[in-house]
Amino acid sequence: MNKDKEQVRLLDLEDGRTGIIISITGGKMLTKRLADLGLSTGTKIKILRKTPFSGPVQVEVRSSKLVLGRGLAYKIMVEIQ
Amino acid sequence: MTEGKKINIVLAGQGNAGKSTIFNYLTGLHQHTGNWAGKTIEKFEGTLYYKGYTIDVFDLPGIYSLTTYSVEEVISREYIIKQKPDVVINIIDSTNLERNLIFTLQLLELECPVILALNMVDLALKKGITIDSAKLQKIINAPVIPTIASRGSGLTDIIDKAIELKEGKTEYRVPRYGKEIESRIEDLSQYVKDVDLPYPSRWIAIKLLEKDRDIVTNIRGKDPRILKEAGEAIYRLEEIHGHDSSVVISDERTLLASHITREIVNIRPHRKLSLNEKLEIITTHKIIGYFIMILILGAMFVGVFSFGNWLSSLFESVFQNWHEWWNNELGTTLTAALGWAAVESVLALVQIALPYILPFYILLYILEDWGYIARISFLMDNFMHKMGIHGKGCISFIIGLGCNVPGCLSCRIMESKRERFITAVLVTLVPCSAVSVIIFGLVGKYVGLLWALGLYLFAMIVIFLTGKLSSKFIGGEPVELIMPMPDYKTPNLKTILYETWDALKEFIYIAAPIVIISGVFIQAINLAGWMPAISSFLSPVTEKWLGLPAVTGILLIFGILRKELILVMLAAYLGTTSFIDVLSPQQMITLSVVSMFYVPCVATISVLWKDFGWKKAMAVCILEILFAIAIAGIVKRALDLVF
Repeated sequence: MNKDKEQVRLLDLEDGRTGIIISITGGKMLTKRLADLGLSTGTKIKILRKTPFSGPVQVEVRSSKLVLGRGLAYKIMVEIQ
Repeated sequence: MTEGKKINIVLAGQGNAGKSTIFNYLTGLHQHTGNWAGKTIEKFEGTLYYKGYTIDVFDLPGIYSLTTYSVEEVISREYIIKQKPDVVINIIDSTNLERNLIFTLQLLELECPVILALNMVDLALKKGITIDSAKLQKIINAPVIPTIASRGSGLTDIIDKAIELKEGKTEYRVPRYGKEIESRIEDLSQYVKDVDLPYPSRWIAIKLLEKDRDIVTNIRGKDPRILKEAGEAIYRLEEIHGHDSSVVISDERTLLASHITREIVNIRPHRKLSLNEKLEIITTHKIIGYFIMILILGAMFVGVFSFGNWLSSLFESVFQNWHEWWNNELGTTLTAALGWAAVESVLALVQIALPYILPFYILLYILEDWGYIARISFLMDNFMHKMGIHGKGCISFIIGLGCNVPGCLSCRIMESKRERFITAVLVTLVPCSAVSVIIFGLVGKYVGLLWALGLYLFAMIVIFLTGKLSSKFIGGEPVELIMPMPDYKTPNLKTILYETWDALKEFIYIAAPIVIISGVFIQAINLAGWMPAISSFLSPVTEKWLGLPAVTGILLIFGILRKELILVMLAAYLGTTSFIDVLSPQQMITLSVVSMFYVPCVATISVLWKDFGWKKAMAVCILEILFAIAIAGIVKRALDLVF
């Protein structure tokens, strides 16, 4: 793993930035559900926008748009690209 | 031509891929909706007559995967496996090809004849995406047909292809995954081969590696030794890949889907933002987005009520002499009186509920087809989380504003049982159009519009607090929102009209029988002369605690059938629609508050009953009655200080 690449929570990634998922901490059901939508470790993910007042985040994965709950965005660690 | 050959086809695909547009185009008015056995999930079935064939078309629910998270997924998968349709048409959103292909791969695993409909190719082209469908066809070894469902283009090609598939012999050459995974699947399917189950053995092997609950249980009953083999394979997979085997399999599909996408897709990015992209930025904006949402929902509300009032009074003038005519023609016998009760119930449904529900549905489906409803879920997710559910619950609330029945039915989009229940309970507290008739007819008209709006605000606060309390009481973690965001697109008129028609039909099917039976029943009680006894029995609550006229006891009983009946019966009882002569402003407000919360109507109760069992349904009713009486009494006392 590249050392000068910073790792942050998906939630803390700024709008418009892209990261690569390095881990998802969550139950089996959750990780499986995400995997079925094409989200798992190694996937490139771009933050399109966040909502204020700790709302969900809108992301782009595999050129399609998804909305993820904030709690979920907190559980996903990404490596900033 | 009645002796034509039969073909059975199934439409499958993710939500927002244009499945219902294609279904409506193919089957037109030859549709019948029902429910899947034992479920409150709608089953859409239609028939198409084409080139001497009778083609039965089934529309499966829009799903994202063929696992067992939701009832819809189980139903879809069981249908394809057990009913063995002649052809499965997989409708794909071309603008989200890669994600849709993951689902396609799952379908192909089932080894059924699949045709891919690459839908919305026009929108994909607009985004600079071109897809080599011939190459895709070669890779997945199944016919691929580009379509534009909104214009009907490509749809007859699909049917021609389906006939061809049915007539010819198809061999399945399912796309293979990576060598390592594929050898595990291969090994395991050797063990499964002789098991007596109606599924393809390769599919069973994959599902075992995915630890699919249903399949594991099935196999345990047949040959538990296979589970041991599967366990070993799972252990190896997890050892090599470092995460759960079910995720390994999903990743394998994703990898293949993304590989295929790279092979067939050519994207020419364009610098200029399209109108829809600009719209996207504005409508999901941190601040402006909320203003726009309030504006759109407010306009919808005003639109529904001004149109509803107009249509309702039109019906009123049409129906006004019917009772007299009935009495003149049939006399005033007991049967005639009971018969009139049945007729009147239907007329009241047409006159009071329909005028509001119809425009409401049309506007709702315009917003839905346009793609705005998903934006509301996005914007409201945080607020909904405070009530222990996620953003999608907001959709049920909005539908509930029209009518609680479809509002409760729509709760099935929530992922867990816990969330379905909480959302449904909260929906029963949302003032439906019938309650709005009371609020506007009494408070809005005689006390002031601000008071009426204040009541809505009050309802919102109650819903919010109830949500907070019930999620605490029921416990459990709220499920996180995971929702695909469809691109905005021009709403399709045909789709909107079909959806509206379906929703209206469903409403009528559920509401009409209950309304007629209960209407006759209550008229019977009335004719038996028991009404005064009932109202005096209830007077400690109505008169003493709530400060309302004793007659409201009976009205509230009528209101269980349909809430607007409270107002209708009040008018009938008093012989006037000038309510200000008989009710003081605080009585009007108190009566509205009771009506809002005191109990869901019969039709809604029946949905709760079906979905959650009679115990929970009854518990909700009793709690809401107690709560409504308590809160209305408090409101009355507070109002005494104001007026």
